[in-house]
Amino acid sequence: MLCKVASVSASTLFTPQTCPRFLSQISHSKTRFCHISNPLCRSARSIVRWNNSTGSATRMDTASAPSSLVARASAQPLKNADQLIDSVETFIFDCDGVIWKGDSLIDGVPQTLDMLRSKGKRLIFVTNNSTKSRKQYGKKFETLGLSVTEEEIFASSFAAAAYLKSIDFPKDKKVYVIGEDGILKELELAGFQYLGGPEDGGKKIELKPGFLMEHDENVGAVVVGFDRYFNYYKVQYGTLCIRENPGCLFIATNRDAVTHLTDAQEWAGGGSMVGALVGSCQREPLVVGKPSTFMMDYVAKEYVLEHLFSFSVLCDNIDVP
Amino acid sequence: MDNETHNASQLLSPHNARNLFDSVDAFLFDCDGVIWKGDALIDGVPETLEMLRSKGKKLVFVTNNSTKSRRQYANKFRSLGITVTEDEIFSSSFAAAMFLKVNGFPREKKVYVLGEEGILEELELAGFTGIGGPFTFFHIVRLSCLLIGLRLSSISSLEDGTKTVQLKPNSLFEHDKSVGAVVVGLDQYVNYYKLQYGTLCIRENPGCLFIATNRDAVGHMTDLQEWPGAGCMVAAICGSTQKEPIVVGKPSTFMMDFLLQKFHISTSRMCMVGDRLDTDILFGQNAGCKTLLVFSGVTTQSTLQDPSNDIRPDYYTSKVSDVLNLLEF
Repeated sequence: MLCKVASVSASTLFTPQTCPRFLSQISHSKTRFCHISNPLCRSARSIVRWNNSTGSATRMDTASAPSSLVARASAQPLKNADQLIDSVETFIFDCDGVIWKGDSLIDGVPQTLDMLRSKGKRLIFVTNNSTKSRKQYGKKFETLGLSVTEEEIFASSFAAAAYLKSIDFPKDKKVYVIGEDGILKELELAGFQYLGGPEDGGKKIELKPGFLMEHDENVGAVVVGFDRYFNYYKVQYGTLCIRENPGCLFIATNRDAVTHLTDAQEWAGGGSMVGALVGSCQREPLVVGKPSTFMMDYVAKEYVLEHLFSFSVLCDNIDVP
Repeated sequence: MDNETHNASQLLSPHNARNLFDSVDAFLFDCDGVIWKGDALIDGVPETLEMLRSKGKKLVFVTNNSTKSRRQYANKFRSLGITVTEDEIFSSSFAAAMFLKVNGFPREKKVYVLGEEGILEELELAGFTGIGGPFTFFHIVRLSCLLIGLRLSSISSLEDGTKTVQLKPNSLFEHDKSVGAVVVGLDQYVNYYKLQYGTLCIRENPGCLFIATNRDAVGHMTDLQEWPGAGCMVAAICGSTQKEPIVVGKPSTFMMDFLLQKFHISTSRMCMVGDRLDTDILFGQNAGCKTLLVFSGVTTQSTLQDPSNDIRPDYYTSKVSDVLNLLEF
């Protein structure tokens, strides 16, 4: 997706205590383009396809990825919220640290969302947190008294499943998941078979003579995201799949270093689990969550945003806008 | 550089084995994949070591595996029928403790260990207070914490390895503010609790050091297959802290200083024997030693000869006992 970025840091869109640290405005114009991409992965658009004859993913289009130009002007305090609101059709919100912290809603959010909706603005919620599916996030919003539909939510759990769908990942291949329920649910919805997830958190290994860990040779992709049940068994299983199953994909939902999983503090994020697999496989993953453009491209396509809509991205993490 | 140095690595032969033997006073051996695989001795190793000793060569064992202390390694050698003294062993667990010592790490500060017993034992021997790891009374202090759900093991004291994390509102994951260093090594009991603990120390305790015993991606922890190495745990912490560690094990030459203090042999008269290009061989080269790669561990001949590899050991051979067989003493 091509867009021009001019960024403004937030001060008054929410109350001073709750305003996001970073607010960027992306306006789309036919004549001025720049591309935001994740330096850790090439754009996932139409470059990788599952090749049924070789039984692995192959790159079909070797056109070079757009340069990883991240054009950001220096952030400025938001002085004229009205101007921003009037100039923008769609607001895209991060969730952890912007809408809520853990299970606590941040002050002023419901009123702000209501106000934006009343002005006819479209609201979209994009989160790197892969622990829940879109449906489960829908429930969370409902529990917090916010009316947000499933279709307005894009989680990196969904992005992983959507990515596999976009490359025609075969339904007879399996996906090994180092991550939580959200990823499993989205894979199931998309019709993919999976192994692993939270229940592998109870599996133990013993490094004894004669002990051999077997792994399913039919695993064609390993998806890694935040996992509070992380353990050595999972690292070895994922490593064996990536290293020994020909063409096995290594997909990361996100690489956030830390995340606000509770209201009180930061917690080691998906970047930790992904880092562990990178350390043992010595291979970089394909990242489907922010700052990769995969989710944004998907959102833009779903909402036909390239038709000259401009939109704002609100988030709290400078590295993962 | 002597006259026989070539850019390409040489297959060990009767001729160059003799030259190597005569030009070297000390042989430095890696352990995993060279001496043993897991708990299984590699064929011909005891006889080869005996021969080298009988000919007056010094033997030193330099291992990145931090799960054991030097004392525990000496015991392992003994149980496999090889006599090796503690001070002939340089493990990365020892290196971590020594790093803190030579850099004047204050005794009143604590060290959080995301690793196994070897590190804790070496820290204790060096006079430091290690917390975390598998052995600790830590869990008693933490019993009152709202956040942690504990499962106390009656079989072994793998406290931090059995701790789970619950993410509840209004609860706080506490960490000891007096931790001044986090040491990360191979940890088969790694879990989210430890990742979070180490992350908080590094991110929030001012000046907290992030030390890695080593960054090996994989190793032969059992005889039948490779397993994730310390590189995995270290990269996990890099991922959550966005910091790079100080690496005390190979290929860093930190341990070489201790070797030189003990043996007073010029590094050019040492030969490093190992199975990993990016740790053993690089360590040897960085220190100015001769290097011999063996294929009994993680590296194969095709990996050595792959165009993407640019680390060239002086010599290569299939296993350590080739030295004995080729010398025909």
